[in-house]
Amino acid sequence: MDHTENSGRERILARIHSGLRMPAPKHSAAPTAQMVFAAIPDPLARFQDECAYNATECVLMRDSRASSRALADALAPVPEGEIYIQDAPALRRLTEGSGIDRAVRWSTEGPPTEASQATVTLAECLVAATGSILISSAAAGRGASIVAPVHIVVAEIAQLVPDLASAVARARKSGGVTGSSCLCLITGSSRTADIEKILVLGAHGPRRVVVILARQLD
Amino acid sequence: MSTAAREFLRNAAQKAADRANQRNIRRAIEHYNESAREGRARFLDWEAARQQCHEIKWEALNHLDEYLVEFEERVKERGGHVFWAETGEDARRYVADLAKSRGVRTIVKSKSMVTEEIHLTPALEKIGIQVLETDLGEFIVQLRNEPPSHIVMPAMHLSRGQISKLFQEKLGAEATEDPAKLVAVARQTLRRAFFSAEMGITGANFLIADSGMIAITTNEGNDRLGTAIPRIHVAITGIEKVLPRLEDLALFWPVLAAAGTGQRITVYNTLIGGPRAADEIDGPEEFHVILLDNGRTELLADAEQRDVLHCIRCGACLNACPVFRTIGGHAYGTTYSGPVGSVLTPHTRGLAEFQHLSFASSLCGACTSVCPVKIDLHHHLLQNRRNAVRASDRPWLERAAFSIWRWTMMGQRRFAAAGQLGRTLLRGLYAMGVEATPLDPLRPWTRRRAASAIPRKSFRAMWGQGGGKE
Amino acid sequence: MIKVHSAAGGTILTGRNFKPQANSMPKVSLFIPCFVDQLTPEVGFDVVRVLRRIGCEVEFPEAQTCCGQPAFNSGYWDDARPLAERFVRVFRASETVVCPSGSCTTMVRNFYPELLAGTALREEAASLGRRVFEFSEFLVNVARVTEVGAVFPHRVAFHDACHGLRELHIKNEPRELLRRVRGIDFVEMPLSEECCGFGGTFAVKFDMISAAMGETKAGNAEASGAEYVAAIDPSCLLHLDGILRRRKSRVQTIHLASILARTGAPAEAEPSKAVPQENR
Repeated sequence: MDHTENSGRERILARIHSGLRMPAPKHSAAPTAQMVFAAIPDPLARFQDECAYNATECVLMRDSRASSRALADALAPVPEGEIYIQDAPALRRLTEGSGIDRAVRWSTEGPPTEASQATVTLAECLVAATGSILISSAAAGRGASIVAPVHIVVAEIAQLVPDLASAVARARKSGGVTGSSCLCLITGSSRTADIEKILVLGAHGPRRVVVILARQLD
Repeated sequence: MSTAAREFLRNAAQKAADRANQRNIRRAIEHYNESAREGRARFLDWEAARQQCHEIKWEALNHLDEYLVEFEERVKERGGHVFWAETGEDARRYVADLAKSRGVRTIVKSKSMVTEEIHLTPALEKIGIQVLETDLGEFIVQLRNEPPSHIVMPAMHLSRGQISKLFQEKLGAEATEDPAKLVAVARQTLRRAFFSAEMGITGANFLIADSGMIAITTNEGNDRLGTAIPRIHVAITGIEKVLPRLEDLALFWPVLAAAGTGQRITVYNTLIGGPRAADEIDGPEEFHVILLDNGRTELLADAEQRDVLHCIRCGACLNACPVFRTIGGHAYGTTYSGPVGSVLTPHTRGLAEFQHLSFASSLCGACTSVCPVKIDLHHHLLQNRRNAVRASDRPWLERAAFSIWRWTMMGQRRFAAAGQLGRTLLRGLYAMGVEATPLDPLRPWTRRRAASAIPRKSFRAMWGQGGGKE
Repeated sequence: MIKVHSAAGGTILTGRNFKPQANSMPKVSLFIPCFVDQLTPEVGFDVVRVLRRIGCEVEFPEAQTCCGQPAFNSGYWDDARPLAERFVRVFRASETVVCPSGSCTTMVRNFYPELLAGTALREEAASLGRRVFEFSEFLVNVARVTEVGAVFPHRVAFHDACHGLRELHIKNEPRELLRRVRGIDFVEMPLSEECCGFGGTFAVKFDMISAAMGETKAGNAEASGAEYVAAIDPSCLLHLDGILRRRKSRVQTIHLASILARTGAPAEAEPSKAVPQENR
């Protein structure tokens, strides 16, 4: 298919250009507070509150050992089936330390399959203001955070940022924006209210979202 | 009267009398209102947020050509394709040709009003491709073979009983009205499709110029599956969806959530910048963005109404509109209904054919007061009316009536005399029992309302006769 | 120019020469909407009664006819413009203009400058807009009175007419006035801010939608348990009254001015109707 043949482009741009000759009126409001969102004095507390509101399980752990146990606990109720884990050194260590004896599919083997029961990934950062997780496809691809009914995220407190603006800034700095083809801000469980506006959790994505938040991972 | 106007009158009359439909609609909107109040309260200053959104969109639209070119460059840098479609037909043809040439048999589709606008699905089905809606609301209306009735809540006009019967009939599902079970049926049915489809089609909530990324917002995650597994991703979007910078999303994501569903933030806010990168585990091999004009440049050229292109398709104006609450989305007969649809459609599909929607409003202004990007919606409806009159598109009888009315009002004696004459006539006729009969000159009024008592004397007459003395 | 902040959050500019002093009420020129003049004249007299009671001198410029809103709202701006120009001239010498209609006041204050843009009268129209007040906003924000000696021992709900609410930012003023009425049982009705469905020519062009909206409003008024539903806009009340009586409701409509005009004097046996018996 020849993608260079697109004469519409010039015509559309020409119409835009000529259409913009007349300036449009702009609402000018009296100066209001620049801060549209309230400041967040305690990001950790806020993150935990937001997770509670979103039904995201957030467990605060001291170190890698405790986080390993938390991983085991989080995976315990997951039914028989594939556990898919991002192949990163920190997660290798955690998995080993957790003592789980079920089969694990590592991300280096490929994307998660349709039968995946749970996935475990790292994150770009966590956002306190909304209880969100920012995930990049450079980590374990796109499917890893959406395909299975359970998604477990392992992160360090140092990855917690106060708000969305700082999350974007951080993603830019870390190369997450240019370095990956997909970034996703995840807040809570997949859900829908399309039937009579009644909230149902677990539509196409994970119903259970777990954040294992370690003070420090070695 | 245009064909569309005639149809609208018929459908609106039917829906206005449909109490069950109104109950469904109002119930959905009441839930929304409760949530939206909470969502707005999360902002330190909601009005400041609206103003900032307005200014960012103003910047984007008033330099649209620059930002679109920047966006296109960035998308191409990352290996994506950009196609500029002047019309719906151009866009349909591009997708159809692409699908054919790549051997696509099944397409999983995310919710996209633009694809409704260009009637994409029928065009693909005609060449033997199966297109599955994956957003639950869209999935439901697709099974019913009808269009969505709301920009954000496609199935808000249905009760759970109706949905249950639908699933039993079309999917052989068990008889249950439990929403969780109904959702599970949809999830199960569609999951296979996600893993076997060759192409995923989405819209885009925002186009980020400085990064060449498209932003898609959902609660269900259907867009994420549709852009992670199939080998081709096609995103179709109006040209007006541009935002200058990635940072703008820190404001627009919460605003869209608050206004669209009353949430603090939507569950999945995804940024896609191209096909899978070289070292990535999964993701599509191909990424195509179709930039659709389809009349948007017409609207852009109208400086007075250019701000209609600020629209982020949140649906807040639909929810606030008392006319929408009374007749629902289907009655409009257009892709975009409610206030934004009534303002937009005459520009994209012709004033002559669609001006009636601008008249089918009480100009109450609720829409303008809730719009998160401060579009002057109800004033635009008024401007459309003025434009229709200037284009001499109104019935000659109406034009004559207003000319006579104006002449009468230009003099107090004429006015007083006409008023006296009119009242005397009406009092006489009503005394003979003519009210609400075909002989009643005020029949358009009294058809639905009891006539009020007609006074013998006007205020000015009584004042003049000393009625104003203390 | 004195800025007065309305409780609803907007800013009202008061008349150039008016200082809110206890004994010095402005001289008021009445702006009586054309259909009030012709169809509900008693509302006009109720306005006069209340204004005089609080010490205003009241005059009625008889040259007035119509502000032009019906033509303007139907898109006939070229027909509305000469009426607007005429209106500006009729009221050019008026210090303070008071009108018992939110929609008509909106026309003059908010839309005249746009309608008369580019004409010689544009500046005058803008100046007039600063001197025209809807009745309740005049009482509360300009005359600075909420107690007007009214007596109305009935349960009353209030409909927030759209122009007054969204264009003039009138929300608290009528409520402040009603709450001071002796004997009143004021209740908020559900969805008081939702449009009643009048909308000018919309009421006849799309009468099935208009009537359905009116039915919704009527149902909400009934649900509040009120005997009366009041408003600042006579056009809303005309429409609502027609709907209520067609459905044989026990709820009656009444203009805010008509409530405030009542003093409980023996002659006022029946709550005043927009068209009293002697004018039928």
